[in-house]
Amino acid sequence: MASEMQNSNPTILNTADLPTRLRPSVSSKSSTYGSEFFASALPSLTDGALDPISDYSESPSDSESDGELMEEPIDEQEIYDLISTINDPEHPISLGALAVVSLPDIAIKPALPDVPESLLQTVTVLITPTITHCSLATVIGLGVRVRLEQSLPPRFRVDVQIKEGTHSTADEVNKQLADKERVAAALENGTLMGVIAKMLETCQ
Amino acid sequence: MAAEKAVTLTLLSDLTPPSLERTWLTSPHPTLPLVATCSSDKTVRVYSLTNFRLLSTISGGHKRSVRTCAWKPNISGESVLATGSFDATVGIWRRWDNYEETARQRQQRDGVQDEDRIEAEEGEEEDEEEWRFAVLLDGHDSEVKSVSWSASGALLATCSRDKSIWVWEDLDDGDNNFETVAVMQEHEGDVKCVAWHPTEECLASGSYDDTVRIWREDIDDWGQVACIRGHGGTVWGVDWEATENVPSFPGALSAQVESWNQWHAPAGPRLATCSHDRTVRVWRRQPKAPASALGASGIPSIIRPSGTDETWEEDAILPAAHVLSIYAIAWSRRTGLLASVGADGRIVVYEERFVSQTSEPMETDSPTPAEVEATAPHPPTEWRIITIVDGAHGIYEINHVAWAKRADRGRDESREEEVLVTTADDGSIKVWNITR
Repeated sequence: MASEMQNSNPTILNTADLPTRLRPSVSSKSSTYGSEFFASALPSLTDGALDPISDYSESPSDSESDGELMEEPIDEQEIYDLISTINDPEHPISLGALAVVSLPDIAIKPALPDVPESLLQTVTVLITPTITHCSLATVIGLGVRVRLEQSLPPRFRVDVQIKEGTHSTADEVNKQLADKERVAAALENGTLMGVIAKMLETCQ
Repeated sequence: MAAEKAVTLTLLSDLTPPSLERTWLTSPHPTLPLVATCSSDKTVRVYSLTNFRLLSTISGGHKRSVRTCAWKPNISGESVLATGSFDATVGIWRRWDNYEETARQRQQRDGVQDEDRIEAEEGEEEDEEEWRFAVLLDGHDSEVKSVSWSASGALLATCSRDKSIWVWEDLDDGDNNFETVAVMQEHEGDVKCVAWHPTEECLASGSYDDTVRIWREDIDDWGQVACIRGHGGTVWGVDWEATENVPSFPGALSAQVESWNQWHAPAGPRLATCSHDRTVRVWRRQPKAPASALGASGIPSIIRPSGTDETWEEDAILPAAHVLSIYAIAWSRRTGLLASVGADGRIVVYEERFVSQTSEPMETDSPTPAEVEATAPHPPTEWRIITIVDGAHGIYEINHVAWAKRADRGRDESREEEVLVTTADDGSIKVWNITR
């Protein structure tokens, strides 16, 4: 690893402001009266049929309770929660706090759109390196890919790319990250895996 | 269109027991009903195509994933396997041939045997595995991705992430000596695959630099004779057409076949490649102009391209059928069918056919020879998808596909049937029967 830091003064976001489902209490603190307020203003919210939250979480499990899909559906927020806690290889700061990964830059799509019954899904994560020439972009991307491949069921195809316009050698990095054989070989490289393991230490 | 013959790919069997880790490639033995499968668990498993069961596990030679392997052709009495690993080395392994006998004996006694006795016998066999580690070929700087033996078995090509291709000569001196014949470093990225021409000492390679290159020996020097551009992503696989291949010809005129053969003999076998760009492409070599024609063109001999340079052109892009990276193709040397597999978990089989001759006027128009050469290098053909299997290994990516001679008891002995062998990320290897 480089002895000198590539970016010694990165912009850091307050982790309390980051979107997550891991700390459900965060938003309820500030809305002790808020929930009542909204409930009275929008009485229909308490009516389950129109509640967007319960609508989302209940209907999929109802329609797929035929045993075909035992696992819970995985959404972008869950992907974000898996990777936002990864530490930057240079700083003891999470990729979420550095805004290297962000919720709007995560997408889940069917991998085979022409085969509706297929369970394969592609998770696309666009990462935004903290500086445009950061040579650690590949390592960060690899960390994200490894984290997702280790945590997600194998029906997910993980696609990690550098967000367009945020890095000088994005194409090169993207090609490496998309190369299954290179990624597989990297996982057998002790030195590299040491770095990745350190980055993932902060993930539950 | 509706009258298309129905072609189906049906699962004959899994090869068992499988590896519990990713398997990369399965190589069919050139003569015996055996295959060797490379695994991330650092071993190679040898399975029987007669009963689909594990015969041997070759282990202890590599420190990392075994990525690739190939059987040396043209030898009898002994099997020689070359293995390439992420540990940057190539291993050569030997074993006296007696699998066939044990398999045949077992088949004969199958009627009276129960499962337990088969298991017991396999236990015994394990003791007499007799795979001998012969030599480790050291030279590459990083992961070895592919190995291939020339048709004669005299040369072994290996390639690596270090961007180089090495050609080794098996000195066959009884002392397991290999000599480095050439190190070729023209590729600008990982060399992902190498494959020898079916008869000549001519090598094709595909790379992370998106190119396909052709290599030959000129007098004493190995060098690049063509660099083929066209793919828009890493070239994962290359495979050669059989020298005598003729597209299938339902109702084709014998004149078509004849003119095909006339074109094919000087042009030589075509090359198929598959890529991260989700295409399978076929390339043809421009037949060399006879010396007299070159003389007539008035180009002084001194600036003529060197004798070994070759011009390769795109012959066809096969119908699109994959939505993710295509990792491997296999062009059957027996039937001319081509199969592809990849990250989307699909198996696709294609067939090349002559296009019914609607261009009769051409003959009366008598185009100039140059025009014929440019527009109709060979009688027109088209590639059609004859079958697709979705999710052939469930949700897993398929890393490799190969054709092999069918050897199980269900085969039709009156003809030479072929099976398709596919190898996947979860360690599973499946054998498919193709029927029409």
